[in-house]
Amino acid sequence: MQARMVWRNLMAHKLRTFLTFGAIVLAVFLLCFLRAAVRTLEGSVEAASSNRLMVQSAVSLFQDLPLAYENKMRAVPGVDWICKWQWFGGVYRERSNFFAQFGIDPETFLRSYNGVAMVEGTYEDFAQTKTGCLIGKGLAASYGFGVGDDIPLIGTIFTKADGSEWRFTVKAIYESTTPVIDNNTMFFHFEVLKDAVETGAARGPRGVGVYMLRLDDGVSPETVMAGVDTLFENGPQRVQTTTEAEFNRQFVTMLGGVPKLLGAIGIAVLFAIFFAVLNTMLMAARERTRSNGILKAMGFSDGYVFRSLLVESMVLALVGGVVGVVFVKLVEAPVSQSIGRAIGGFRVESSTMVIGLLLALGIGLAAGVVPAWMARRIEPVDAFRSEA
Amino acid sequence: MNEPIIDLEGVCRSYERGNEVLQVLDHLDLEMQRGTFYALMGPSGSGKTTLLNLIGGLDRPDRGRLIVCGEELQDLSSSELARWRADNVGFVFQGFNLLPVLTALENVEMPLSLTPLSRSRRRAQAELALELVGLKDRMQHRPRELSGGQEQRVAIARAIATDPALILADEPTGDLDRASADQVLELLQKLNDELEKTILMVTHDPRAADHASAIVHLDKGRLGSIETTERGATQAAKPRS
Ligand SMILES: Nc1ncnc2c1ncn2[C@@H]1O[C@H](COP(=O)(O)OP(=O)(O)OP(=O)(O)O)[C@@H](O)[C@H]1O
Ligand SMILES: [Mg+2]
Repeated sequence: MQARMVWRNLMAHKLRTFLTFGAIVLAVFLLCFLRAAVRTLEGSVEAASSNRLMVQSAVSLFQDLPLAYENKMRAVPGVDWICKWQWFGGVYRERSNFFAQFGIDPETFLRSYNGVAMVEGTYEDFAQTKTGCLIGKGLAASYGFGVGDDIPLIGTIFTKADGSEWRFTVKAIYESTTPVIDNNTMFFHFEVLKDAVETGAARGPRGVGVYMLRLDDGVSPETVMAGVDTLFENGPQRVQTTTEAEFNRQFVTMLGGVPKLLGAIGIAVLFAIFFAVLNTMLMAARERTRSNGILKAMGFSDGYVFRSLLVESMVLALVGGVVGVVFVKLVEAPVSQSIGRAIGGFRVESSTMVIGLLLALGIGLAAGVVPAWMARRIEPVDAFRSEA
Repeated sequence: MNEPIIDLEGVCRSYERGNEVLQVLDHLDLEMQRGTFYALMGPSGSGKTTLLNLIGGLDRPDRGRLIVCGEELQDLSSSELARWRADNVGFVFQGFNLLPVLTALENVEMPLSLTPLSRSRRRAQAELALELVGLKDRMQHRPRELSGGQEQRVAIARAIATDPALILADEPTGDLDRASADQVLELLQKLNDELEKTILMVTHDPRAADHASAIVHLDKGRLGSIETTERGATQAAKPRS
């Protein structure tokens, strides 16, 4: 009976209920969306492994390190293997088609990362074909690339001497479940860049952007970091060795206050929505003064009218929350496809959905409790005299 | 003699207005007999509604004893009063008695949901009450789809749904035209005659009061005479079985 009353009361003002509901849906959607974006950024930091070290120039990330460093670092105790990473910065047809491309060492790349698996083609094929490339499944999906396709890229950092395009043949498509490697990146042989620059076929920096050092199991990263840093203390190029987590964090901090700003927006949205629901519930409580008086005269308890309004507020907020969360989950894939390439993926975790629902419920509770309390306090005698 | 269903001794009720105290009911003594239909009359502001609310356990006296349906009301807590109301009284107010979001049937079922009756028994009883007031064919209508008179009759159906001993009605015909008012009054009479309900009805209308068996006059917080109506006299002449 009480459930029916709650429903009828909500339906008695369809437009008002719908608008409040819509506001909650929008707010929960926005909050979950923002959190998913921030969490994706942070995820790459959290998932980072401590048995991988990143060596970059002490000057800046945009300064390359000499090729000769590889062998010297391999001699540092605790270093198991090395994978070079070089940012290519090529353009596929148009500038707006942005995706990341890296030259890497095929022999060591795959075994450095758990959670990267081929979904089409084979990694061996990629490793054995010098002009081959490996692309993420997100990238393959958004541009329709398949195994065997040629991807032409116009170099911006590395330019061909004859002005032609670079061409890489897709040999395999991977799917990554680790946030450290996203699904919208292209990898090719570092050798290609090195050889082209050395033979004069292309112009570009002669060196390595980042060396990834994979450590022996059980080795303390601090000792290896210190060892590498001292190795090049006196040049020719000083290096900065960091854990992968620290390295990835640079990119998050490069976004500056963005996560904080998103958080602030989230809180503002929460407050706005709280007041919207509060307003609705206050109106509901007010126009039901007489009805509540009648109920109490009939013998219904103060608790009954209190619960009615509170439940109504919470039902409204919770249903709005559920729909908001469902919407976020629905846009997860398309968003990850479109803007995911720029921000490094977009994943709505279940914790985000739970938080969204809890916030909605909390808003329903907070906004419902004051009107419900007012309804509880009203005396039937006063309810009839106030003559709504 | 039978124990009175309503027994007031020295009941006082005053309101504070600013620093002025308005003594609405001043040491009121009153006895009312079970099974009688009373009309309560008096000028506006004489305290009729105040008295009705006290008898119905919606309000508390400042002083005095108030025994209604065998319970001393002045000492009950508000939740005990709510429980007592659910068991013993049905209210009919002047207008807007019904919950606008519920159908006529659901409105009548409402007080029954405070009883341990099963869902189907509740429904059957609510339908019976609506049949009694002649509105069974309107049971799926919302209050705004009913006329004022029909709304009052649904309110009466609701008031008797739980079969309380006492019906309290505050100007139930105040907003109605003559024909609708007569229907409501005849209905109240029927409840008194056939179901032997004790009814206390506040009214300004002498013609409405004629439907009662006795008229209680209230003026300036004091009771005047209790006058027996023509109907009361005939009733007394042929005692009930
Ligand atoms: N809550 C209140 N606060 C202050 N004064 C009140 C309150 N309730 C009633 N009164 C005053 O008490 C007096 C009696 O009121 P009551 O409503 O009982 O009169 P009534 O006989 O029912 O009048 P009417 O015929 O107009 O309905 C009036 O003067 C009224 O203004
Ligand atoms: Mg009155």
